[in-house]
Amino acid sequence: MNTECVAMLLAGGQGSRLGPLTFNNAKPAVLFGGKYRIIDFPLSNCMNSDIDVVGVLTQYRPYILNNYIGDGSAWALDQVQGGAHILPPYMGQKGGRWYAGTADAIYQNIDFIDNFDPQFVLILSGDHIYKMDYSKMLAFHKKKKADLSIAVMDVPWDDAHRFGIVDTNKEDRIVEFQEKPPQPKSNKASMGIYIFSWKILKEALLEDAGDRESEHDFGNNVIPMLHQNDKRIFAYPYTGYWRDVGTIQSYYDANMDLLDPHCDFDLNDPTFRIFSNNNSRHPQFVGPKARISNSLICDGCIICGQVEHSILSHDVVIHKNSIIRNSIVHTGAVIEDGAILENCIVGGKARVKGDARIINDELGKAPEIHVINS
Amino acid sequence: MKNAIGLILNVNGEDSSLKALLHHRSLSTLPFGGRYRLIDFTLSNMVNSGISHIGVVGSHKYSSLVDHLGTGKEWSLSRKTQDLSILAGSANNRIGHQMKVNLRNLQQSRDYLETAAGEQVIIATPNIVTSFDFRHAYEVHLKNNSDVTLIYKKDGPKYHLEDDDIYLDFCNKRISGIHYKKSLATKHFFAEMLIIKKALLLQFLDLCEYSGDWDLLDMISINLDTLRVFGVQHTGYLKRISNLESYMKANMDLLEYDIMQELFLGKASIHTKIKDNHPSLYRDPSSVVNSIVGSGCIIDGTIAHSIIFRDVLMERGAQIKNSIIMQKCKIGKNVTLDYVVMDKDSKISDYTVLIGKPDDPIILKKGTVI
Repeated sequence: MNTECVAMLLAGGQGSRLGPLTFNNAKPAVLFGGKYRIIDFPLSNCMNSDIDVVGVLTQYRPYILNNYIGDGSAWALDQVQGGAHILPPYMGQKGGRWYAGTADAIYQNIDFIDNFDPQFVLILSGDHIYKMDYSKMLAFHKKKKADLSIAVMDVPWDDAHRFGIVDTNKEDRIVEFQEKPPQPKSNKASMGIYIFSWKILKEALLEDAGDRESEHDFGNNVIPMLHQNDKRIFAYPYTGYWRDVGTIQSYYDANMDLLDPHCDFDLNDPTFRIFSNNNSRHPQFVGPKARISNSLICDGCIICGQVEHSILSHDVVIHKNSIIRNSIVHTGAVIEDGAILENCIVGGKARVKGDARIINDELGKAPEIHVINS
Repeated sequence: MKNAIGLILNVNGEDSSLKALLHHRSLSTLPFGGRYRLIDFTLSNMVNSGISHIGVVGSHKYSSLVDHLGTGKEWSLSRKTQDLSILAGSANNRIGHQMKVNLRNLQQSRDYLETAAGEQVIIATPNIVTSFDFRHAYEVHLKNNSDVTLIYKKDGPKYHLEDDDIYLDFCNKRISGIHYKKSLATKHFFAEMLIIKKALLLQFLDLCEYSGDWDLLDMISINLDTLRVFGVQHTGYLKRISNLESYMKANMDLLEYDIMQELFLGKASIHTKIKDNHPSLYRDPSSVVNSIVGSGCIIDGTIAHSIIFRDVLMERGAQIKNSIIMQKCKIGKNVTLDYVVMDKDSKISDYTVLIGKPDDPIILKKGTVI
């Protein structure tokens, strides 16, 4: 088999900063924007970039994620050769172990990648919301004759200290890396999207695996090592919507962006669609006394109360006399008669009693986000 | 249900009131209830009852049927153990007496019947809106060693029966009469679903060739005294779509919570073709009450007592009442619609007002631009 570029999607992270949302669910499988899951974005990007071999590396609480990916047909990855492959840690002749870091996860799957004999390997992570045509980045990588290309975007200077920052020369070649620097030299932040030439990456992974000091992490070990060895590392400039959804606040904000008519992130763009894997459900039923404004609502919902500036996933039931405001409600949650919720994230299948009152009444203060467990 | 084959027989002849909506599609693929096609109900009922081999007999206008069913994947019928076959029927229409189950449609598919694994055949029409589990009826059918089991419903004020409904008489639980005309004595009507022994069905097919009478129910009716024909009652909601009135009524019935719950919220769900569209966006200000809304819509206006299909775009200030708006329709600013049925891909420009009557709604054909 010969495939030009194989994508490896790192989806094993726990996402502990998302708290209750990842108690029994891996971070890439967390719901986003009602019907989507975070992993839909990298997978749909692959589909829109004509990449049809994707290895998905899973580790933490993989059941929902594995079940969701299935045979990959939702993202047109069910082709005869290639497709979506779920890659959990495994046992070998010398025993087995968990993936110790991002680079180790790829190291343990060298055989899988070799099977496709690719020239390039695209490394993705499952925790960002963005649309990107990776084929353009691949063209950039080839044009620059790079060993490694890293997608970067300009972030506000004030925020630059929170990111991995790269400093480049005129030809976009990276001259320096700074991890969360107090005094950043540039505002180009790494987006955690890498294209490696497979030969170079394989050598580096073998070398890194022999290093007992290494944490086996791309950002901290493998890429600095390649930089030291004078490999050709280039920064691929990306402009457009990109959000990290690693914390409750950033997750909430990115969801609410979808309700902002001025936001340029369009899920409805027919030329670059985001796909997801969903079962057939009945259409939305809106009751006689319902009031809905500025909200995203999915199939299977039954709405008899008031919903304002909120996002409802599938099969949510809102009873009459209840009010949902500035909130995100996950699949199958039931809000009983009379409940009032503001600034909440309601977990899947949660049942909110009618006497619940979560109201943000402190004026002028940024509202706190309440998470109601599944 | 291992030993059963499902057959969905397209009904012959359509009422002229639905002509505008059936110009390019068969009754079985008429859009219904915000995201479905009529056939989804019968097909899902069969799948949910555990029938693994299903044949759908078309009669004409295949493209919408083939496009909708595809490989049958959405109904789990694209597996090595479960399959869907689209069979060729005949485009035979007779003036006058409408046949209920036209065996001429099966003539060409005799091979399918003979080779399909199963001793019993479950036949249903694709134009009934109901949620029905065949398993109980099948058990009764086997227990009684019946030749034919007809599923029937008790007449009630809820059901506006049509002239072409079929009525059944009973004698000691066995069916003793099949009538085409309503009389005071008739209390039970045929629910357009039946179970028949395959051997008998094949025998009937032979007889039809000689006699020229192709109506299965005529065949059963003539032979009532020699066959074991029993009935099983269906107690749930059932609406047969045969004309515009019943189509409107059945759609609007979904706005009653009890009916919607029975059809959609039970254990068995109604499957349909999946489209990847985004969640529906309700803009501010918008007011939606007592309606069914599909996914992928953008709503910016007022909707009351209406059925809105997937991917409908509605601009600011539009008002929709008592209407059925099908997939991908575009409705301009400040448009007012009352009692309108808009077929797929239609467009209405700004400030248009269309007001139909409850018994005479305005119908816009597919792709109409106003």
